[in-house]
Amino acid sequence: MIESASFAQTMQGWAGMGPLWLWAAASALIILFLLALPFGGLATYVERKIAADIQDRIGPNRVGPLGILQFAADAVKMLAKEDFTPTGADRFLFNLAPVLVVVGACAAFACLPFGKGIVSADLNIGVFYILAVTTLVAPGLLLGSWGSQNKWSLLGGLRAAAQIVSYEIPVSLSILPVVIISGTMQMGSIVEQQGWNTAVEHAATNYHFWNVIHNPFTLCATFLLFVGGLAETNRIPFDLPEAESELVSGFNTEFSGMRFGLYALGEFVDVFVMSAMLTALYLGGWQLPFFNVDQWVVPLPSAVLAIVHMTVFMVKTLMVVFVVMWLRWTLPRLRVDQLMSLCWKGMVPLALINVTGTALWMWLFKGQSMMQLLAKAFGG
Amino acid sequence: MTTGMKLVLFAAEILTLAAALIATFHPNVLYGAIALLGTFVGVAAMYLFAGADFLAGAQIIVYVGGVTILILFAIMLTQWLYQMKLRDIGTKLLVPVLIGGGLFTLLVKALLDINPQFAAENIEKSQKFLHAPKTPLIGEALLNSYLLPFEAVTILLLGALVGAVWIARPR
Repeated sequence: MIESASFAQTMQGWAGMGPLWLWAAASALIILFLLALPFGGLATYVERKIAADIQDRIGPNRVGPLGILQFAADAVKMLAKEDFTPTGADRFLFNLAPVLVVVGACAAFACLPFGKGIVSADLNIGVFYILAVTTLVAPGLLLGSWGSQNKWSLLGGLRAAAQIVSYEIPVSLSILPVVIISGTMQMGSIVEQQGWNTAVEHAATNYHFWNVIHNPFTLCATFLLFVGGLAETNRIPFDLPEAESELVSGFNTEFSGMRFGLYALGEFVDVFVMSAMLTALYLGGWQLPFFNVDQWVVPLPSAVLAIVHMTVFMVKTLMVVFVVMWLRWTLPRLRVDQLMSLCWKGMVPLALINVTGTALWMWLFKGQSMMQLLAKAFGG
Repeated sequence: MTTGMKLVLFAAEILTLAAALIATFHPNVLYGAIALLGTFVGVAAMYLFAGADFLAGAQIIVYVGGVTILILFAIMLTQWLYQMKLRDIGTKLLVPVLIGGGLFTLLVKALLDINPQFAAENIEKSQKFLHAPKTPLIGEALLNSYLLPFEAVTILLLGALVGAVWIARPR
């Protein structure tokens, strides 16, 4: 079991290793320049390539080999563009909003478990922390849309806020089954407990397989979390806040240059965070199926192990991101009333059933997963 | 606590106080609401330093993600509220000052009543506990000692959820 830490303890741990501001600045810079910006940049390129493939086009192919440097060209264009504020706009809100969106999305990186022990802060409220900081996005979108003094923006912003607040409920309820199963909200520990570890000598640790097939209810919760995540990040088919055919471009209509870039970055980072959360909670995080990396034939050195863990985690996360992008060119957009009835009549009751069902399963089968029950039934 | 942590805590306190002052005195109600958001975040940061991580998370989710959005919606959907300058505080000064002053006096008195000797001893003793994660303790307390109130709140929330769907039904 990984040592659980509170926020204050984590901070004290950092403080023991040097000045606090140095660590704070270093982690902020690492998250921004090593994780968020490259991911956001490459995601725009990949998204355009996927779109091109699905629509039988070529896509960006001029800048660099296969057009892979397109994102750098886009970034330069955005930075060089005129920083335009519309007349009558509320300057303060207009400037504040993109920052809130990016901060809310990037702050979630602190608790993402990229590998065993590779978490900036393995807080004891891990999942809860991620849910909490990503809610900062909603006020950001709302204030930005109000600040632009534009009716399309305002409509988009109101839609975004209503959508995010509504889908917060099914998303939280879809996370609860994992908390019930793991008995903790700490990300590292949740992933740790999804190890493939049912051999006799490890019976005491009682590990089970990925949470997604722990029981039928978690399987359902996985899909609910994915759909809820799509809605929370305003991705198609839930992109009503920026529905271009009715609202021009929704909440970011008036934003240009780097402010628009920040909005786009915030959205992509949010998608990454939701996918990483889904991976860590339900898809086993850094664990591989069918064999245990940690106890492979020869024990791997810890540096290699860390790289393997991070690779596995990133591959899984990026596969979820790929599905998100793929859906964009597959499904049509929902109407507002369909959006709300899907949430309140479909997802919320289903999520409640999942929570109750998982609790019942834990009580009936003493916390064993389907895999463990099958293994017992067939004597394996 | 190290000096760095003290500085961060101090910054959180400043943020809370300054944002609260802006929320009270800013003539534009929308800016008041945004300043309130700052207060909520500042208070959450102070919870973190008290070792109450779960409470801080709940504070952010409920107040920043819920209450602030609700307030912003109310302001944006009310006609002319944004342009209005809320300066007519002179007429209604007495009651708020009385209530606020009374509460302030009570809190200061409660702080002064703490026996410094006793407090020092207990801080020594509880220094380790203070920063330890308390989320499992909250979970155990809710499902053992306080099960009945917890279940009552659960049913209330479920009722609110069903009620919201009922109000929003097509007629």
